[in-house]
Amino acid sequence: MIQQFGHTDSSNGAAADLGKLRLSEGSLDISWHHCSTTADFLGDFFAVQAKVGDPELNEIRHAIGYLVNELLENAVKFRAPGDIEIEASFEDGNFELRVFNLIAEETALRFQRLLSEITARDAGELLIERIEQNAADPSSSGSGLGLLTLMSDYGARLGWKFIHDERAGPVELQTYAALSLS
Amino acid sequence: MEIKTKEYRVWREEATIHYEGTMRLSGTEAYAPILELMDDVLKSKPETIVLDVTELEFLNSSGINLLAKFTIEVRNRPDVGMAVRGSTRIPWQSKSLPNLKKLYPAVELTIN
Repeated sequence: MIQQFGHTDSSNGAAADLGKLRLSEGSLDISWHHCSTTADFLGDFFAVQAKVGDPELNEIRHAIGYLVNELLENAVKFRAPGDIEIEASFEDGNFELRVFNLIAEETALRFQRLLSEITARDAGELLIERIEQNAADPSSSGSGLGLLTLMSDYGARLGWKFIHDERAGPVELQTYAALSLS
Repeated sequence: MEIKTKEYRVWREEATIHYEGTMRLSGTEAYAPILELMDDVLKSKPETIVLDVTELEFLNSSGINLLAKFTIEVRNRPDVGMAVRGSTRIPWQSKSLPNLKKLYPAVELTIN
């Protein structure tokens, strides 16, 4: 069974510069560090596509770094045991990222409920509303704020595919993201 | 008072809180010591609290949420004002700091 939320289409073709990485499972400390080093690396890696002296270069590097870091932090926080795979591509100012990891069935259900809420409304309004709710409830973890920040402040197009076969067990989660950087 | 690691440094000078480096902590609990430092400044009831992030190169969404939460705390204290100083050199600041003003329009936000 496949369930989808948001935008799971991609437009970068076979000619796009593509990078693939696999992050092996490890202690949380190391995995957390993987998020930032991978984010910085991909930011630098794809920023070379910007023209030399392009004032946007800093913006491109930062936006890619921010997006990759947030989505990997989520993957590391919520994954079931297993590796995290990443595919990143850049073509004509369009950066696309796909993150693949496993999550527990229960986590998937909770995440799907959150996604139905955050993909149904304007991200900017919802971000402010969620921050207010979060501040009023000290036990709240602020879940969804990172995704809303990406959608609202960075104009990221995000999508999610949950692939669950009939046998009980972890669900395969594919996270899609696109940023228009031209 | 100062919190310092190899990635970042947060310290206060009177009612100004300075942030420097790269902050990508794992969530609310990890950011708690920083919130505590900020709350101490708020408790001292200054006329205006200044958050200076002009040297803060990166702040993940958990950290942005910390600034947002603190903004709401200051909003609940009409006797204390709040100013935020950012830099156009650092892209996350122009993108996300305006949200603080949406939460509390009296925040004096300067991004130079």
